[in-house]
Amino acid sequence: MAPGSDEVIRTEALTRSFPMGSTIVHALRGVDLVIRRGEYVAIMGPSGSGKSTLMNLIGCLDTPSSGQYWLSGQPVAQLGQDDLARIRNKTIGFVFQTFNLLARATALRNVELPLIYGGVPPAERRARAEEALQQVDLGTRMDHRPNQLSGGQRQRVSIARALVTKPALLLADEPTGNLDSKTSAEIMVLFDALHRAGNTIVVVTHERDIAEHAHRIVTIRDGQIASDELRKRPEAIAP
Amino acid sequence: MNFVEGFRLALESIWANRLRSFLTLLGVIIGIAAIISTAAVIQGLNSYVSEKLSNLGKGVFTVQRVGLITNREAFLAAIRRNRKLLPADGRAIIERCPSASAVAWETHATIDIKRGTNEIRDVDVGGITPGILEIEPFEVADGRILAQHEEDGSAPVVFVGNDIVERLFPGIDPVGKDLRIKGRDLRIVGVAAKKGSILGFSQDNFVKIPFSLHRKLFGTRRSINISVQAAVPEDMETTMDEVRTVLRARHHLEPADDDDFTFLTAEGINTLWRSLTATIFSIALFVVGISLVVGGVVIMNIMLVSVVERTREIGVRKAVGARQRDIVLQFLVEAVLLSCVGGLIGVAIAWGLSELLAAYTPLPARFPSWAPPVAFLICAGIGVFFGIHPARRAARLDPIEALRTE
Ligand SMILES: Nc1ncnc2c1ncn2[C@@H]1O[C@H](COP(=O)(O)OP(=O)(O)OP(=O)(O)O)[C@@H](O)[C@H]1O
Ligand SMILES: [Mg+2]
Repeated sequence: MAPGSDEVIRTEALTRSFPMGSTIVHALRGVDLVIRRGEYVAIMGPSGSGKSTLMNLIGCLDTPSSGQYWLSGQPVAQLGQDDLARIRNKTIGFVFQTFNLLARATALRNVELPLIYGGVPPAERRARAEEALQQVDLGTRMDHRPNQLSGGQRQRVSIARALVTKPALLLADEPTGNLDSKTSAEIMVLFDALHRAGNTIVVVTHERDIAEHAHRIVTIRDGQIASDELRKRPEAIAP
Repeated sequence: MNFVEGFRLALESIWANRLRSFLTLLGVIIGIAAIISTAAVIQGLNSYVSEKLSNLGKGVFTVQRVGLITNREAFLAAIRRNRKLLPADGRAIIERCPSASAVAWETHATIDIKRGTNEIRDVDVGGITPGILEIEPFEVADGRILAQHEEDGSAPVVFVGNDIVERLFPGIDPVGKDLRIKGRDLRIVGVAAKKGSILGFSQDNFVKIPFSLHRKLFGTRRSINISVQAAVPEDMETTMDEVRTVLRARHHLEPADDDDFTFLTAEGINTLWRSLTATIFSIALFVVGISLVVGGVVIMNIMLVSVVERTREIGVRKAVGARQRDIVLQFLVEAVLLSCVGGLIGVAIAWGLSELLAAYTPLPARFPSWAPPVAFLICAGIGVFFGIHPARRAARLDPIEALRTE
């Protein structure tokens, strides 16, 4: 294998700015970040420091103003709309702070959604969605709509949706931001299990004890990486 | 995403907003219902007319002074220019047209007829040579029709239509009774079978008397209509040419002059009628076309609103991997389905309306079988045409922007 081939994410001098009338907001000011397969990374930093902006770029939901981004060795800038859609569909699982579930659809339908766009046939789709929901312990709530579920359950549905395509990379932007500490703890247990199962995970969080679950904590301040601290060796890629 | 998925999504979404969907569709519903109802009425009239004309048998034509009246000027010009047709013209045709197997004529007058305290107005009094009954057969309900010897002797006899019986002889068997016409008592020899009405005009308000009697009662100045049966029905043209030659000679027309009489054939009447209804239909089509365009614009508008309302949903879909074409498909299918639901309701209304019209009005409306597929095509077209813009707009939304909206 070529050196660097286990890099899932590589960014170089990544910037993102938003023109706001006459001024320009520089949300990211040159981020260099490498994340390898099997890593469990927490991104911390004060509010407005650019964490979500970075996650959106990594998740191929947004495009950088300048700089380079390679996803699994492939330069993302060269990809077209359909390619990006395919990557969002197959390679990346994204968990949002605000869940972003379809209000009118059941938990099962919500989890099926990525598979629909992935062209998975109905029967297999259903089986996989059920499996994913069981994995997050929601086997009994499949026919509930989001407004019939608790906040923690909703977040677990959105995690099931992120996992159902078996993505190489799981991105979570403050997955526990809207949850109480007990529910947060449950979600983090789930993430730990996913990491042990070999998933590469990037979690944005405000809370130190959430970040402690990760093996590496990257801190962002004013759109730049302020610190990058390796806490212990990630188990999953340990020999 | 495939078509089935899109269809399912569209149904869910339309159902979730059913009242709004219905209101949105009013334009399309009314447009489709109106166009099909119009078509139903015209179709009904057309088949009615050709049914009625089919008793003008094959190879039969009529020569008249004035043709079918389509406008006032043409009518007045014909009255001014065309000579009256007289029995002598008819006799000349009998003598000099070998390819005519039967020739007969009829003339008309309109009078009111009284019997005791009962009166019936505007009765069409036809004076016929009995031969016409072979060319244009009459259905007899009671008694018999007029005989040749009655024509020869100007016998005071009359054959009556059903209205005369109903109005003047309620509950009485009229055959053998007298009917006073123009001061003469005429013996009723028979009653015609009821024909019903066309567009509210009764077809039974008539009596028939011998032609020779008609001349005595109403004078000899009235023009006649001459009915001719061609011996070879397939070669009616030859017979018409013979008749034309005879009449032109009798009327001393120069070769350059137009005919001063008109031929009427079942086919000709049919053609005229159809061109008339086609005009009505195309006017209706134009008016309804406008309503369909308005309906389409309303659909476009509601789809644009829907795209704005569902921005977040679109963001979610794009975030989990929907491509632009998936979103376009979703919204396009929704617009098409919406419009087709409108078409379906419109077709149903038109069907109900044409049944009602046929049952409760003189209009013989008949629901056309081509209506559902044509309505479907039109509505699908409207959906695609007016849905593509909102669908594109939805597909081009930026996922992050879309997810940010509340
Ligand atoms: N679409 C946008 N338009 C304008 N400014 C934006 C946009 N998105 C982000 N910003 C700005 O970029 C900066 C970084 O925002 P970002 O959402 O990445 O912060 P964050 O670190 O995720 O904060 P928080 O912890 O509150 O979620 C902020 O100043 C924000 O106002
Ligand atoms: Mg954020």
